[in-house]
Amino acid sequence: MAELSITGLGKTYPGGVQAVEGVTAEIADGEFIVLVGPSGCGKSTILRMIAGLETITTGDLLIGDRRVNNLEPGDRDIAMVFQNYALYPHMTVRKNMEYGLKNEGLPRSEIDARIAEATRTLRLEDYLDRKPRQLSGGQRQRVAMGRAIVRDPKVFLFDEPLSNLDAKLRTQLRAELKALHKRLGATFVYVTHDQVEAMSLADRIIIMNAGRVEQIGLPMDLYLRPATRFVAEFIGSPAMNFVEGTVDPDRRSLAVNGSHSLRFAEPLPAEPGHKIALGIRPEHLTEVPAGALSMELEVDFIEQLGADTVVHGKLAGANSPLAVRLHGVQAGAAGSVVTLGCEMDNLHLFDLGTGQRLN
Amino acid sequence: MQKRVVFRSRLLPYLLVAPQIAVTVVFFFWPSYQALESSFFLEDAFGFSRQWVGLLNYTELFDDPGYLRSFRTTLIFGLSVAFLAMSLALALAVAANRVVRAATSYRTLLIWPYAVAPALAGVIWYFLMNPSLGIVAYWLQNAGVDWNHYVNGDQALLLVIVAAAWKQISYNFLFFLAGLQSIPRSLIEAAAIDRATPFQRFWTITFPLLTPTTFFLLVVNLVYAFFDTFALIHATTEGGPVDATSILVFRVYSTGFVGQDYGSSAAQSVILMALVIAMTIVQFRYVERKVVY
Repeated sequence: MAELSITGLGKTYPGGVQAVEGVTAEIADGEFIVLVGPSGCGKSTILRMIAGLETITTGDLLIGDRRVNNLEPGDRDIAMVFQNYALYPHMTVRKNMEYGLKNEGLPRSEIDARIAEATRTLRLEDYLDRKPRQLSGGQRQRVAMGRAIVRDPKVFLFDEPLSNLDAKLRTQLRAELKALHKRLGATFVYVTHDQVEAMSLADRIIIMNAGRVEQIGLPMDLYLRPATRFVAEFIGSPAMNFVEGTVDPDRRSLAVNGSHSLRFAEPLPAEPGHKIALGIRPEHLTEVPAGALSMELEVDFIEQLGADTVVHGKLAGANSPLAVRLHGVQAGAAGSVVTLGCEMDNLHLFDLGTGQRLN
Repeated sequence: MQKRVVFRSRLLPYLLVAPQIAVTVVFFFWPSYQALESSFFLEDAFGFSRQWVGLLNYTELFDDPGYLRSFRTTLIFGLSVAFLAMSLALALAVAANRVVRAATSYRTLLIWPYAVAPALAGVIWYFLMNPSLGIVAYWLQNAGVDWNHYVNGDQALLLVIVAAAWKQISYNFLFFLAGLQSIPRSLIEAAAIDRATPFQRFWTITFPLLTPTTFFLLVVNLVYAFFDTFALIHATTEGGPVDATSILVFRVYSTGFVGQDYGSSAAQSVILMALVIAMTIVQFRYVERKVVY
């Protein structure tokens, strides 16, 4: 078990493509860290640099107190679970798990003990003599985890391990993964593009965009106080609403494309004349026109999800798309107008140009 | 599942396969039957008369130490060619698989020898190795090897093995490269994380996963060495010296066209035919079903 220290990590491919730039993060011993972001944001590249499968162009990578930049993958004391599982197809489950241990030169008794322990943990006893192709997706995933566990590494790396599974199995394995982390107490670094996975699994989330870190924080920090507009949009489903406009001189209203403006009960924490993006989560809008702000929604269509109803439409008088998440089963017709309210605490203000948070 | 096409007329499907059947019958079945028939006769050199001798041609063959030696030569030749061509091709494919820059031109160059006709390949090696004017023979002599494949049977055999293998490397290379590229990179990466050295990775992961390709190529290479190398041998050693490179296929020719013993030549063809059939069965049995790892 060990902490992981990443300082100014960067990756430039030959040809000049900069996949990762200046990533710095301190990951504590036993922490479950999730790297999340859209495809091509560099999250997998970071994971592969930690694993030693990609060379590091700039920066330092420390596992424990050892700088591992130039160590071979096998010498870094890590184990990795791949998206496609990467089980050796010509070996049985047992042989798959043994492979790394044999290469380490462990004695037979130790190998058997570790495999017995891992199989019990992952309920794989019945499958030890099967080949990977005789297993279902979920079982293969467990074997891949088993192969990592038996290595007893300092850091576990997961590269989108659940993305090839169906939704139900994914939820189940998510819970198992969380339990496994608790039991092993090891450092987990987990890459996913799925924000639900990130929110439910992580102790802390590193959210990435275009090769850079957007924000590092607790899942609830990212949800309640996103540092940038990108984070605000990425975390939460349905995604946060944005209304773009200019702050009026009295700071109590926001001019939205010309004629229309929104009035606020309290002054906005932004300079007059400042162009901002006002963010409001769909679940923070209420049908009661109370609180700091009231606005009108022209309904386009309604999604009935059972537990919730999501109403999609436009801000009346402006063209900003707007969604609201209402509790329970709600009726509504396209073309009707709904008046909505929101509390001041639930408003997120971002600079329109830089996307940085203002409040 | 493929879609089944149903013809309205009964005649049309037969008409469509007729040309292929005709070609097969005229160029394959008929000569094969002729060979089978004449293997039971003793014929004079000019084809004026022939006499039924039953299995005499066959029994004589298996009593002939020269023919049995030819079997042995063929086996040594075939296995050596297959091993040499496959191991070199695999090494080249592994190297080519790692090349990033100019990969296409590198691969194209490696495929070229396959376009060289067997007889020509033989001639190239013949000139390279010729004791009086060959450059390789000259180097060998400088290195203290007394190279003369006109006199030394083992050297002659080595020459035809090298020439035959050289020509087959390209073919094997293509298949090995395709095989290597179909192995997911993550498997090799997983093995690297599992502390396997590059050498171990190759022998414990890559090579076992290439088994289907390797087996397929083994059969193809043996068939090539046994049956398709006549022109090469004819152009270089002509089976000599003293039968040292006279493999079965070459013997069919020399018995029939040089020795003018048509009956024996036909019997030898029939034996070769049986061999081809056996190897084809092996190929269908195992390769078509794919070697499962």
